[in-house]
Amino acid sequence: MTVTTNISLLAVFPDLEPAADAIDRLRTLGVPDDQMNVISGTPVTEAMLGRPRQWTNVPRLALGGALAGMIIGLFLAFATPSLYPIQVGRQGIISGPPTVVVVFEMTMLGLLLSTFLGVFLDSYFPSYRPMHYVPEISDGKFAVFFSCPQEDSEKITKAMTALGAEKVEAAEAQPL
Amino acid sequence: MASTATHHDHEQDHIAHLREKHLMLDPLPRGRMNEMVMESMHDTSWKFWVVFGILSVIVAVFLFGAWGYMIANGLGVAGVNRPSYWGIFLVNTVFWIGISHAGTFISAILRVFKAEFRRPFTRAAELMTTFGLVQAGFSIFMHMGRVWLSYWLMPIPNQRGLWPNFHSPLSWDLLAITTYLLSSTMYLFLPLIPDLAMARDRTPDGTWQKTFYRVLALGFRGTEGEWTHLRHAMNIFAFAIIPVMFSVHTIVSWDCAAATRPGWNSTIFGPYFVVGALHSGMGAVAMVLAVVQSRMKHMKYFIRGEHFDALGMLMLLVSMTWAYFFFNDYMVQWYGGDKWTQQLLHFHEAGPLGWMWFAMLIFNVAIPWATLWNKKWRSNPWLLFGVGLLINFGMWFERYIIIPISLTINRMPFTWRMYTPGVEIYLGIGTVAFFILLYMGASRLIPLIPVWEVQEGQMAHSLKKYGRETVVTISELE
Amino acid sequence: MTTELKISEISANFAEGEQGKWGMAIDMDICTGCQACVAACAMENNVPFVGEADSGYGRSMHWIRTERFWEGEFPEIKMTPYQPVLCQQCGHAPCEPVCPAFATVHSQAEALNLQVYNRCVGTRYCANNCPYQVRSFNWRDYERPEPLPNQLNPDVTVRRRGVMEKCTFCIQRIHRAEDVAKSEGREVADGEFAPACAQACPADAIVFGRIDDPESAVSKMARGARGFHLLEELGTLPAVTYLKGG
Repeated sequence: MTVTTNISLLAVFPDLEPAADAIDRLRTLGVPDDQMNVISGTPVTEAMLGRPRQWTNVPRLALGGALAGMIIGLFLAFATPSLYPIQVGRQGIISGPPTVVVVFEMTMLGLLLSTFLGVFLDSYFPSYRPMHYVPEISDGKFAVFFSCPQEDSEKITKAMTALGAEKVEAAEAQPL
Repeated sequence: MASTATHHDHEQDHIAHLREKHLMLDPLPRGRMNEMVMESMHDTSWKFWVVFGILSVIVAVFLFGAWGYMIANGLGVAGVNRPSYWGIFLVNTVFWIGISHAGTFISAILRVFKAEFRRPFTRAAELMTTFGLVQAGFSIFMHMGRVWLSYWLMPIPNQRGLWPNFHSPLSWDLLAITTYLLSSTMYLFLPLIPDLAMARDRTPDGTWQKTFYRVLALGFRGTEGEWTHLRHAMNIFAFAIIPVMFSVHTIVSWDCAAATRPGWNSTIFGPYFVVGALHSGMGAVAMVLAVVQSRMKHMKYFIRGEHFDALGMLMLLVSMTWAYFFFNDYMVQWYGGDKWTQQLLHFHEAGPLGWMWFAMLIFNVAIPWATLWNKKWRSNPWLLFGVGLLINFGMWFERYIIIPISLTINRMPFTWRMYTPGVEIYLGIGTVAFFILLYMGASRLIPLIPVWEVQEGQMAHSLKKYGRETVVTISELE
Repeated sequence: MTTELKISEISANFAEGEQGKWGMAIDMDICTGCQACVAACAMENNVPFVGEADSGYGRSMHWIRTERFWEGEFPEIKMTPYQPVLCQQCGHAPCEPVCPAFATVHSQAEALNLQVYNRCVGTRYCANNCPYQVRSFNWRDYERPEPLPNQLNPDVTVRRRGVMEKCTFCIQRIHRAEDVAKSEGREVADGEFAPACAQACPADAIVFGRIDDPESAVSKMARGARGFHLLEELGTLPAVTYLKGG
């Protein structure tokens, strides 16, 4: 085993097609998928880039939140009236139809709040640390970040330029 | 040869025409669109600030000043009385909640159904939802006799050991409106993150705007992961917020429908109110878009005749649905023959405010039907602005008829008395001014066009030759 | 061939029989419309004077009012009998469930509608939903010029602006009578006390007492052929019975 030092590079592409080609090329050059990251200004799916499927916890968190919301709703609808029972209008202390409303609203609130917070959790928002970034991506460019062994960097840079990269350079974390 | 050339010219004309008509077929480089949206925020004329200043004064005096006066002196300074215990406060609450429904309708329902014309104005509509709900909140709090104790309605543990009464439609309202306000704000914010990141990248360092965008963009970079989480979340929101929206106005309608009052105790009020909300909301979207298109720089590129055309069609559809529900409600109550309801219906049409009832039908039904069937007319922003304004008056009248006018008639004729608005008129004007003020402020700070969504749409659209004709195709990218 | 239809017996469990505890009978045939009940009620319960302008605008705060209508066209006018209307203390009260703050609740002990002033935040939903329109709202803090504050009844809370209020059947008098009876180790006797309106009525048109006691004066009156309930068709189970038609 030889000790290799990895360096981080970024290649900026003007379009989706060359970026996807570059990812294929990087893979053949020995950069594994988990050493790559693509940033873009429009949502492109993993399939378009030929990348492995992204894992997201958002739907699971949403379901969990819905469940939590429902439990809060059930507490409000069934437990709170029993904590301080007050008779109104000959209705039961706990009456049926209103509980449906309360449970529904709290379930939906839990679902939507946790979906929102799920995005924060999964994306590590908010994070104001310096990060690898290329502001041009908000103009529609695609940036591929990858780390590769130091000795391969020249070879890879050439390959990237050949595929139409506008620039290939060492990635530096910058304040966002 | 000559005929081929003509055919070719004709073909080119056709394509040029399609591009001119459809934003989605008329793509610009992303960088250019970003620039246009940034310029639209920064290009502020002195007139803007004059209007902004006047509205600020109106908000300060009419909304906060008059409200403070009312809090200090009691609701006696308003026009509410026995039997019209709910006056314009509740009319405005229902009205603003109605306005807020359009945003969700456009951004959620149209997103679910993949209606492509929604793309440039989803945010403009969502902003209406959030700001409209703020006004609804103001209106409902103004209405309370002891607003300083309004936190007693929140389901939070307290030293009194007392929880809210969940038998009361007002408690459902509180839960539903809170849920809707929170979720519509989150739904506004999620697709805004990439645009805030764009604004962050294009704002010079050292300005307060940079800090503003930097903080709000949360460090968004556009990695695959971030986009995936965002897409999933927006998808969940688009589906889940629709039943929330329906529940909100249904519950608002139950404030009336669950009461034992002639004219109110109607099973159709839920859907009738929801459709009414969409009616005024769509009209308001049309008004906002007409103003945005004509007053903000570069907006003629993003908002075009096709959008007004599509909105106009929706408005016509909603108007027909509203007429259906109105007639249903009226017909069944009229046929029911209950003596108090008979009195009430007669009072609606022939009472001292009968003109309002007829104006409601003319503004909500006759005028939209007479104008919006014509594609050319409804593509005209100012015509749509006018129709939207009339619909909003019509829908305001509808709520006025349902609340203070219907409250005038009850089962104890001894208490029948007309309602004359007092200070609530100023408070109502204050909420309108505050809505416009918030919107104007937001238009200087928030990219009003979801640029990345527009670009996504433009990537999905292309022209295809089908036989001899060039047609539009849409590929499904999401 | 005949088919036998087996319709299971449907038993309607209406709570009609379920009565309140305290009740009132108002004989409209002997009411003279003198308004003594209105004045007595206002004095007893610290009901503020709202002034002419507010009163004319539908903001009078009387807990009891005397209704009377003209029937027919002038000069062929017939007058309807006087009808004092106060909170009917419904057994099935529409005002109760709609309050989000539990400010209007049903008392288990007295079987009355209570208005808890301290809990009221002033949504006025209860008043909207009251078919009898007997609730009054404190639209303002009404002034009580000196020396009128000296006349305030110490047994009754003074309400501030933004709070709903209504007839309590003079619950302070009920409680006092119950306390006295309890200290003497007996039940409250029929006619031992009366709310201010009944006490003040010179014609004795208002009779108050236990309606769960079939032998009380009010029960006997209410059982009579002339008795009816206001807006009976709503099923609100009022504790007030009107008598008319003699």
